[in-house]
Amino acid sequence: MKASRLALLACLFAAPAVAADGPIVIGVPVGLSGANSVVAPSVVQEAQLAVDEINAAGGVLGRKLALEVADDASGAAGAQKAFDSLIYQKKVDVLISMETSAARNAGLPAVGKGKTPYIYTSFYEGHSCNKYLYVDAWVPEQQVPPIVDNFKAKGAKTYFLIGSDYAFGRGMLGFTRGYVEKTGGKVLGEEYLPMDGADWTPIISKLKEAKPDALVTSTAGGAPNVTLTKQMRAAGIDIPYANLAVDEGTAKSMGPDATGIYLSASYVTGIDSPENKKFLEAAQKRFGAELKTPNDLSVPEYEAVYLYKAAVEKAGTTEASKVIEALPTVSFTGPRGAIQMTKQHHAPLTMYLGQVQADGSVKVAAKFDNVDPGEQCPNLK
Amino acid sequence: MLLALDILSTAAILFLVALGLLAIFGVLKIINFAHGAWLTVGAYCAVLAARLGLNPWAAVPLAFVVGLTLGGLAEILIIRPLYRRPLDAILATWGLGIVVGQLITLVFGRDVQFAPALLPGAWRIGGVEYSAYRLFAIFAALLAGALYALMFETTRLGLLARAVIMNETLARALGIDTARVRLFTFMLGTGLAGVAGVLLSPLTSVDPNMGVAWLIGAFMLAMVADASYVALGLASLAFGAVQVLVSAYVSPVLGGVAVAVLAALALRLRPRGFARG
Amino acid sequence: MAEAHSPLTGLRAPALFALIGAAAVAAAPPFLDAFASNVLTRSMLYAALAVTVDLLWGYTGVLTFAQGAFFGVGAYATALMLTHLGATPALFVAALALAIVLPAALGALVGWISFYHGSTPLFASVISLVFPIVATQLVYSGGAWTGSSSGLVGYDVLPLEGEGFFRLAGLLLVAVLVAAWVFVRSDAGKLLIAVRDNEARCAYLGLDPKRIQIALTAILAAVAGLIGFVFANASSVVAPENVGFVFGTEIVIWVALGGRATLFGPAFAAIGIDYLSAQLSGDLPFLWQLVLGSLFVVTIIVAPEGAAGLARRLWRGGTAAPPRLLSLEAAPRETKAGPLLAVRGLSRGFGALTVLREIDLSVKSGELLSLVGPNGAGKTTLMRCLSDGREPFRGEIAMGGQDIAGRPPNRVAALGVGRKFQVASIFEGLSVADCLRLARASHETPSAWRASAALALPAPCVEVVKLTGLIDQLGAPARLLSHGLKQALELAMVLALEPQLVLLDEPTAGLTKGERTLIGEVLVKLTAGQGCAVVLVEHDFDFVREISSRIVVLHQGRLVMDGTVEDVANSALVREIYSGGGHG
Repeated sequence: MKASRLALLACLFAAPAVAADGPIVIGVPVGLSGANSVVAPSVVQEAQLAVDEINAAGGVLGRKLALEVADDASGAAGAQKAFDSLIYQKKVDVLISMETSAARNAGLPAVGKGKTPYIYTSFYEGHSCNKYLYVDAWVPEQQVPPIVDNFKAKGAKTYFLIGSDYAFGRGMLGFTRGYVEKTGGKVLGEEYLPMDGADWTPIISKLKEAKPDALVTSTAGGAPNVTLTKQMRAAGIDIPYANLAVDEGTAKSMGPDATGIYLSASYVTGIDSPENKKFLEAAQKRFGAELKTPNDLSVPEYEAVYLYKAAVEKAGTTEASKVIEALPTVSFTGPRGAIQMTKQHHAPLTMYLGQVQADGSVKVAAKFDNVDPGEQCPNLK
Repeated sequence: MLLALDILSTAAILFLVALGLLAIFGVLKIINFAHGAWLTVGAYCAVLAARLGLNPWAAVPLAFVVGLTLGGLAEILIIRPLYRRPLDAILATWGLGIVVGQLITLVFGRDVQFAPALLPGAWRIGGVEYSAYRLFAIFAALLAGALYALMFETTRLGLLARAVIMNETLARALGIDTARVRLFTFMLGTGLAGVAGVLLSPLTSVDPNMGVAWLIGAFMLAMVADASYVALGLASLAFGAVQVLVSAYVSPVLGGVAVAVLAALALRLRPRGFARG
Repeated sequence: MAEAHSPLTGLRAPALFALIGAAAVAAAPPFLDAFASNVLTRSMLYAALAVTVDLLWGYTGVLTFAQGAFFGVGAYATALMLTHLGATPALFVAALALAIVLPAALGALVGWISFYHGSTPLFASVISLVFPIVATQLVYSGGAWTGSSSGLVGYDVLPLEGEGFFRLAGLLLVAVLVAAWVFVRSDAGKLLIAVRDNEARCAYLGLDPKRIQIALTAILAAVAGLIGFVFANASSVVAPENVGFVFGTEIVIWVALGGRATLFGPAFAAIGIDYLSAQLSGDLPFLWQLVLGSLFVVTIIVAPEGAAGLARRLWRGGTAAPPRLLSLEAAPRETKAGPLLAVRGLSRGFGALTVLREIDLSVKSGELLSLVGPNGAGKTTLMRCLSDGREPFRGEIAMGGQDIAGRPPNRVAALGVGRKFQVASIFEGLSVADCLRLARASHETPSAWRASAALALPAPCVEVVKLTGLIDQLGAPARLLSHGLKQALELAMVLALEPQLVLLDEPTAGLTKGERTLIGEVLVKLTAGQGCAVVLVEHDFDFVREISSRIVVLHQGRLVMDGTVEDVANSALVREIYSGGGHG
């Protein structure tokens, strides 16, 4: 009697796991409002494109993919609500998204508690480590050296740093300062505004007084980039200017103010590869006139969906512990080339140094193959 | 020189933003907490003008008319019933601000937009390069102040407004239609706020909540100045100077609160504001 | 005599609620899914915050946007300690202590800035807005230490699971509700409504409304800090948005919609709105906010009492039984040598206009002095100077030998001065009995948890209550009294102070002939038997002639005559003054 009752209970608990015929749900918490709202639409589009392509080809393990998008307001408080909603209410199988570091950090506790795999597709300041977190975008070790080396080659000795006051801004500029000083340069000033700050006047005046050879900025992606650049150009700043956090799409929306900005990215639309051409054609066909320029913040999202598909197929299940075991072992060749998150949950990437042209496009000046992300999470295997 | 220009242009922007609120506070004796929303409406007029392909300067009269109209509706439906409950009027206008913000979001989306520069580039003045638009802002503030003073001191509406400011009950007893004075003043205030929003838009990013950041500073200035536009100009200059100096020498973040803290201290010392004597 | 019902019976309902609430909170978690549990944990903490705002705004009339910031300060204090110092049990206790003490200190500071003699409610609201802004900017300026825009994340928290935090938050909410409930129905709780309805009257009854407001702000700030401590542990994320003024305004919106001065209305509104927001946030974020904002505006304009207030009005539950009236023995009063009131060379001017010139006046106990004179002679100004030492007068005023210069009304009242105003100044939101009880508050500190069943008043006060028929209206709301009864109530309240000097400003205005006679008898009895002195301003010369022992005539700010009733009544000078001849 007792054994059969136990068997019945076991069936009740097993049943939900067995009867998983519904779609695999991908949660996308992203900054639909706030600082990131300039770039969020392109991120959602890339996720949508990947999902549509995969579904058209038969889905994953016979199941379709579905997207659940939630607004994290580009900040910590909003991210907590968005992650809560996606993990506990919508019960997503995985989170794949690009967000500010404030949002990512705030969401990680929920990721750990809810045991949900999380592929972070945004470049960031590095050293964010969690069993469930995987990153397929660049970190400072991959992105900053090309820029500083380029300025040094052009004769720059003194630098001024401006950023948004949160983990990303401080992390990036901290690394930059270290690299500048290691290569013999000098940092004249390092100034920050809160992420939502829009009045850069006092900082711009300080910049003018310091008279540096070059300027390096690292604000939150999106609005702060635009306001800072606009205000600087209006104040007549025209020294060599590298922006660590700008993507092609945002550069386009800055209009003529963006001309001359140096950037270092793992993706530019000008990449000459068959995968990128195929990708751009498909995006153009899918979205037509509504297409937002694919950029360094949104293309990793596209690739991450494919990486997840590969991991699930290799693991044979969407169960979290098996998926996170499979993730570092799978690879996908997309618009950015071959991506595999083998290095302590991060990925070696091909980086491009470019300069924004008058028409908003990015001209590639140099290419660096397979740049190593360095020791990001030595405590994770 | 840079510092001086920063101070003047910051003061000018504070003055422009607070002028509309001052008019309303002086005559109606309430704080229009929807002021931030009117600023936002004005900024979105600039965005709209850009989308429609109009000359960016066309946004100024557009914002004035839109602000005027919406303000008139708001006064009749919301402010008038709360005439005797000033604290509740603050709350109701705050609620109105939320409603307006959500309507803007529904129409334009919640993402950040950018308005085109009205006056791009930098000018050389006093040996330094300075943002042309910020210099224009100084001129705009002086012009707005002059027009306001003209309207206030020489027109009939200005005369009636002054009467209501001094003693509303007496004005009513003398047969002045104070309800109409209040309505027109409110409309003027919101129209000015719309224009200020357009003027703000090239300097900052435009999103449905941008006005809120300016609201507190604006009404603190308006309270310190009471009903006097001269006092508002002086207060803008004084507090703007402190804001710029603190931002430059201490931290930009603390500079941002300078206006609010100074105004609070000033009101504590002289609760009636600094307008009379 | 045995009490008909012990004060504990009134505590039955709160105790019952405490039990049921605690049981529900403890039993609920298994029935809720993880998402609902997380959201409700936060919602219940917000509901507790809403209750504190209701106490400040609904009951005391202080519109505050700062409670959210005190909550945020408590949360940040906790997170800062846990992040930078660690998470040992001792440190948790330290964090709890800091989360309570720091907001309390800040609350006292904010209160001190906001509430001072002559401050307006608008100024207090403005300061309550400035504080969250300053706090937010301080958080931003803390750079890497406070996490700035990122906030503080990933620190170790109390070793409770989601269910544990749900129960903790729920119990905290129940505790706050019960404490608030017991307090507002207690005698001391009525003080809040008194301060809200009529601050001036509180001051003239010897109470210090500013100190009450400051104390309340500090205490509720501490409560908010405690809620913040639990929040920091339950959510493991503390961000600048938790300190901002937008959050503070959200709490006010919940209170407005739920119902001011109902406690449960704001709590349920907070839970309902926060929970619904979380559920709908993905699907219809704009529509939901739009609906909420519109509902808020409509509620403020059309139904300011909010949902629970409307419900209360419709329900019309049974009113409490009025208290029993007891008569107090008069404390034996030592007759001091010398005059009760000594005024020397009193002058008062407003700019170029001199209203009082060199007034010399001395009043002994037992005198019934009437102050007469045409309009504009300065009578009310004189009364004001006698009762409020902060008036900028020149000269000396001494009450019972003590100089009153610089003393605020409540400290002048402490010297034994009771003032009755021309327009009846009572507490419209309270019952007659509560008004009278509050009038005794400066003599007997009211209990913070008990609602007394008996009302003990001095004999002359009881006499007024009986004579004027107020005794039949003890349980009635004061605002429903007739004009004459309101005047009588105010007189009774002044007499409840057991004053030595009673200042009356036109006590018979608007009264019937019968009511006037009554009042006259009472005043004569007061001065004859109780050793008081009465100074009254009156226009009804017949009334004055009947009851006064002495008449003083004021004309154009000068004391022109001071003598017995016969002297003054027959004086040619007085006739001239009243017929308008005596100018110059």
